Amino acid sequence: MAHLNIRRGLHLGLGAAPGLEIIDLPVPATLGVLPERVPFMKPRLLAARGDAVRVGTPLVADKRNPDVLLASPAGGRIAAIELGPRRVIREIVIERDAAEEFVEYRRLAADQLAALDSRQLAQRLMAAGLWPLMRQLPFRDYARPADQPRNIIVALDSKEPYQPQPGIYLRGREELFDYGLALLRCFGPQNLLVTLGAHQKLPAEQLNGRITHTIAGKYPAGEPGVTLYHTRQSARDNRAWYIHGQDLLLWAQFFQSGRYPTERVVAAGGNVTRGQRHYRTRLGVPLAHIMAQLEMPANQRCVAGGLFTGYQCLAGSHLGLLETSLILLDEGKREEFLALINPGLNKPTYSRLFASRLFPAGNVAVDCNKHGGDRACIACMHCADVCPVDILPQLVYKAILVEEVEEYLAHGLLDCAECGLCSYVCPSKIELTAILKAAKAAYYPDYNWNGNGEKG
Amino acid sequence: MNLIKRFFDAQRRHFTADGRLTRWYPFFESMETVFFAPARVTDQAPHPRDSLDVKRYMATVVFTLLPLLFFGMYNVGYQAYRAAGAVPGLVPVCWLGFKVVMPLVVISYVVGFAWEILFAAVRKHEISEGLFVTAMLFPLTLPPTIPWWQAALGISFGVVIGKELFGGTGRNFLNPALTGRAFLFFAYPVQMSGDAVWRASVTSGGAAVDAVTAATPLVVAAGAAGSGGVTESLTQAGYGAQTLFFGLYPASIGASSTFLCLLAGLLLITVGVVSYRIVLGNIVGVLVMGLALNLLAGENSAPYLSLNPCYHLLMGGAAFGMVFMCTDPVTAPDLHLSRWIYGFLIGMLTVLIRVFNPAFMEGIMLAILFMNVFAPLIDFLVLRSRLKKRIPNV
Repeated sequence: MAHLNIRRGLHLGLGAAPGLEIIDLPVPATLGVLPERVPFMKPRLLAARGDAVRVGTPLVADKRNPDVLLASPAGGRIAAIELGPRRVIREIVIERDAAEEFVEYRRLAADQLAALDSRQLAQRLMAAGLWPLMRQLPFRDYARPADQPRNIIVALDSKEPYQPQPGIYLRGREELFDYGLALLRCFGPQNLLVTLGAHQKLPAEQLNGRITHTIAGKYPAGEPGVTLYHTRQSARDNRAWYIHGQDLLLWAQFFQSGRYPTERVVAAGGNVTRGQRHYRTRLGVPLAHIMAQLEMPANQRCVAGGLFTGYQCLAGSHLGLLETSLILLDEGKREEFLALINPGLNKPTYSRLFASRLFPAGNVAVDCNKHGGDRACIACMHCADVCPVDILPQLVYKAILVEEVEEYLAHGLLDCAECGLCSYVCPSKIELTAILKAAKAAYYPDYNWNGNGEKG
Repeated sequence: MNLIKRFFDAQRRHFTADGRLTRWYPFFESMETVFFAPARVTDQAPHPRDSLDVKRYMATVVFTLLPLLFFGMYNVGYQAYRAAGAVPGLVPVCWLGFKVVMPLVVISYVVGFAWEILFAAVRKHEISEGLFVTAMLFPLTLPPTIPWWQAALGISFGVVIGKELFGGTGRNFLNPALTGRAFLFFAYPVQMSGDAVWRASVTSGGAAVDAVTAATPLVVAAGAAGSGGVTESLTQAGYGAQTLFFGLYPASIGASSTFLCLLAGLLLITVGVVSYRIVLGNIVGVLVMGLALNLLAGENSAPYLSLNPCYHLLMGGAAFGMVFMCTDPVTAPDLHLSRWIYGFLIGMLTVLIRVFNPAFMEGIMLAILFMNVFAPLIDFLVLRSRLKKRIPNV
């Protein structure tokens, strides 16, 4: 078991440590599929409003690769298909029948795995609507099924606040996880990395030789892009695949049961809970279903996915296929009197200009206020000092703005972990992460997949 | 709080949409945000943001400059009375200093702020707080006898030519305060250098006219002759190491006290506003160059070459420049290694200019401006070697 120490990053100082209890929620009346929230996917509808669906019925295909599908997480009737601007498919809402029917697939015993070739495996996962769970660096689109990955990274946890803890979702499912690892070996990676935060205290039977790397460090240590950056040997390693621990369990469950997996462990946290709770519920759960469990003050922002990387969503929405976390944050839309001379005992900051830095354990109050006006970059170097993959965001973003493609690629733009820290620390409130992310996406169509990663 | 809130709410209508002063909204905004941090929220990830903004960043520097300003006032009054023969109590001394210094500070702020508002209004963006630092630094580097119109001209040149023409704070490549000072230094050498300008007169309420002659330590050092060397000449002229350290001698208004600069520097480094790499690099640069000159010094060379290098840190505006001027992050190079090199080279150049260039007594101003220009080149070279080590991903 190797150990990685990620030096750069940020400890937000939210205080309360996550609890390890889990609450089983009743099955909700509606479930949703959010094609808009699967990055890069260009969805085409395969079903219409009012259609009867089973658990696992394909609802959406990707126009770029019609084999890649998204499936219904519920059996029942399509109650609504919500379109956004430019007819983007936001949400497909399924009203659940009391007795749900399942699309039945062929089961696969552990000893049959060895005989299977990776193409067939990928085909079956695509047909089941589960392929988008496997992502590929550097762009974080779903993995290209025809590729043979040199590295597959299984990230069991992340240092991002309010994420499901492996100690909970792995409990009692160790063998399923082993089965999942065996699945991944069918894709023939040279390295199969299974990473776990060094702070996690998992029981021995859960560890049991499954972990290849323990990772110490602040957020975003443990993020697959960061792990790859710190373990890669050459440019050929750049196109690693990665999957999150819980998603691998979904894959494994699909093959073992022959049915579309429906169970999801969702972490909820934020200002409301002071700490974190886990809920065992369904894929595509309505957010209101979880929020009903929390005492909600007014003016809360609902964030799906993560504090630093997630997206804002309406309370009436559902949780997407890739998201496992729901955070309620104080919106913070208010003026603060004399903020300039406030010592800031509970103000989150990376700098050393607030008194909160005197208390490393921390118990800061986080909100969505920008805490300042837009300014030009003053080269304070905070962004470069937190960047976990040693990019110099303040230089890269300038190169992006003047369209110096060669230059920003040489700076390592494609290594960007999209962790959001550069935007977070910027005193000039420049949207660095958004700019870097957009530049990556814009470069995606020009990327040379046949190259060796060293020359474009 | 409610009173202030009501005041701003009442004035807002003049500056928004159909008001008469719509163009000058940046002025209103900058005033309001001093009291009320704006109620802006994020619209994309990451959802929380750091509590630090440029306003607090810059305000920290201004706060740490205040002790230097107050000391400067005292020192100006003290030197004036000492030249006149008798030093009265603390209050009259401070009052005289206040009368001399405060107008310069006010001029600097009013004129500098006027330019900043003008450019912000034309560009339609908010006022950047860098100006508040510039406008505080600038008068502290001036001799107390400077005519008011020259102070106004200097800050105008610094803000407009040194900064706004290139796009404002964050896009300037020269330190604006030093640009303004350098402009005055070369345009009006009579009021900016020599022996006569460093002491205000007791009778002067405003701009002094009949200043009293006092050779500065740098002049004494450059002109030192005889067997005793520079240290002795300095001591004879009343500039012992202790005097130089605490800064109670005729000098530019706020830049003489190495002691206060040291305290301010330690504070700014502790809170991370000032790059310790630049400051330490600078100190090392001064000491290395000073020692190198010591080694070069022969029997017949000028005594200045044999000066203990520590004196270079004590004399003139070296400490002030090190802590407040060359650490301006915008005009310094970006990368950490570059900042070491940049500081080191400024230190070396400071000593070189002082020792070998009798026309320019104070080396650090020119050294910093010179290295400002070279900062992008240092970054370029350091960056190239840094990127070579990176595994490509294209």
